[in-house]
Amino acid sequence: MAFFFQELVNGITTGALYSLVALGFSMVYGILKLLNFAHGDLYMVGAYVGFFVIQWFGGPSALTIPVPLLLLIMFVLAAGLVGGLGVAIERFAYRPLRDAPRIAPLITAIGISFFLENAALLLFGAQFRVYNTAEFISLSSGIQIGSVTIDSVQILVLVLGLICMVGLRELVNRTKLGKQMRAVAADREAAEMMGINVNFTIAATFFLGSALAGVAGVMGGLLFNQVTPTIGFIVGLKAFTAAVVGGIGSLPGAMLGGLLIGVAESMITGYISSTYTNLFVFALLIVVMLVRPSGLLGRAQLQKV
Amino acid sequence: MKGSVIAAAAALGALAVAGCGSSSSSTNSAGGATKPCVASVGMEGPLTGPVAVLGQEQLHFAQLAVLKDNLVNKTKISIVQGDTQLDPKQATTVTQQFTSNSKIVAVVGPAGSQEVLAVAPLMSRAGLAFISGSATAAALTTGKYPTFFRTVSKDSVQGPQDANYIINNLHPKALMIIDDQEAYSTGLVSAMVPIFKTAGIKVDHESVSQKLTDFSSLVAKVTPATTVVVLPWQVASNAQQFGRNLAQQHKKAVIFGTDGLFSPGTFSINGSYVSSFGPDITAIPADAAIAALAKTKYGNFGTFGPPVFAAQHVVDEAIASVCKSGQTPSRANVLAAIKNTNEATTILGKPIKFTSTGDVVNGKFFLFKIDSTGKYQLIPG
Repeated sequence: MAFFFQELVNGITTGALYSLVALGFSMVYGILKLLNFAHGDLYMVGAYVGFFVIQWFGGPSALTIPVPLLLLIMFVLAAGLVGGLGVAIERFAYRPLRDAPRIAPLITAIGISFFLENAALLLFGAQFRVYNTAEFISLSSGIQIGSVTIDSVQILVLVLGLICMVGLRELVNRTKLGKQMRAVAADREAAEMMGINVNFTIAATFFLGSALAGVAGVMGGLLFNQVTPTIGFIVGLKAFTAAVVGGIGSLPGAMLGGLLIGVAESMITGYISSTYTNLFVFALLIVVMLVRPSGLLGRAQLQKV
Repeated sequence: MKGSVIAAAAALGALAVAGCGSSSSSTNSAGGATKPCVASVGMEGPLTGPVAVLGQEQLHFAQLAVLKDNLVNKTKISIVQGDTQLDPKQATTVTQQFTSNSKIVAVVGPAGSQEVLAVAPLMSRAGLAFISGSATAAALTTGKYPTFFRTVSKDSVQGPQDANYIINNLHPKALMIIDDQEAYSTGLVSAMVPIFKTAGIKVDHESVSQKLTDFSSLVAKVTPATTVVVLPWQVASNAQQFGRNLAQQHKKAVIFGTDGLFSPGTFSINGSYVSSFGPDITAIPADAAIAALAKTKYGNFGTFGPPVFAAQHVVDEAIASVCKSGQTPSRANVLAAIKNTNEATTILGKPIKFTSTGDVVNGKFFLFKIDSTGKYQLIPG
């Protein structure tokens, strides 16, 4: 039983990461009907921001500021910079193509993904950058329940992931900006006619989605330690799968999908074999698509004929 | 700075003298040739990417070998670099560039077994000799690739050697072995698992992508009875992360890495074992000059560089012998000369002579244990 709970904790932690990235996918799809394949690379940029913040403050073994303050700066800076990058991408790459056939922004998104990867390669080099989290957050800290270990970084990721998800849900459901976002997602032209600033709303959506990817990037760096220009690809792919499984365009669906994929990966690795993890995860995607084509929490779109 | 330049110059001088003295076949000198002995040699390695630190070391040692051999043999051999990033696709692209460059008469590299498998047909078709200083998969020297050679031993030596060490010295009742889905890794697993099973050890064989960085789910499967985890991997930072995940979950299993993980500074989990195809040349008295020069010019190094130095030296000597015989170096005559290599002493502290399938005769592996400061300590024997 302890083994089950250990795998559950591991799965939920990884799933929280996928959920945060999947939320960005879903938000952008919901508002623009665009599959933003560059989203995984924003995760990578966030991870680099976190790495350079650690270096800026003396490196993992000789930090010049307290760890909580360091973490705060890492997350805030990653969210801000990656959010800003997301807005810039929307402004210069996607907005000019807003009324173009849907294939055009899709190809552009793939191009942006390659651009970000190669820009990182050029700027930061191809070598692994290592957070060395254990140097400033002790591996022995955390919670031990029987033989189940939840270390401090996992707790941090779980708590922060939960805060981000709940915060986003509240923002979308209870604020004026959230109402604008929902209106633009429902009908962009009607929203514009009602006086909503569509450009601002879309930019804000990109900012929020990208900021979440940036936060997830720092979390990934703290959890997995390694940062390279290509780490966004796999995470992006898994998050996209999570968004589709949950119902792309649905924010609760993205959260559920991310957690489901994370836990499924962990359980398959634990109880079947790591060899077949991806096979089962993508089989899960196919099964969900066959049974519920709109995803677990997605709504089927009605089309007038 | 000035001091280090003087030290490097002194070491180079000593090296040239040592090289003159130890050059295995005196017939190799091209000094008597009437026209300059000019040739280009391709060098394929992971110069950037996750294992760039190893690729750079290989490049540096290839450059040192050329520096020394040009001085000793009075040749004008130059290196053409090709970055493979340890990726078979990238290695194929680089090889296509090399095979279409008629000035290149031989190639040193590539580094990984999977890359060799990808480029070997191209090299064979072009009649281009290539010598790897780190590709160890047994399948590479079955005679299928007539232009392939290596200066290191092979996994069919490493696999059983490591497996027997684990059985006889670590005495596990159960162990986990995890491949990274690459030819290098799966080949080693195939060589080791039957030996473990014959010894009555319970084996949990797992498999993960080389791109995976989260091993927490896998580590959760390490039971208290599993006292050894064997990682035949090539990305040292992944093994480091695996070690951290073990510590996070308070697991006490010892990591045993194969030569792909030999990377001081990157993989430094206390108490782990790592095997290596290359010796620690700083412990070989005859290599003192080259070790000093390498350290002065490029800083600290591991075991990936010296076998490439040996590979480059074999090529350089082959070119020099061709020139001395009055011929112009070509792919065909350099290949023939490489096949006849018979180096009595080399940087690796052992002779180099190739079998008919390109293996080095009497190859062996070396074993190191990582101490609490992250240093690799050679285990005698």
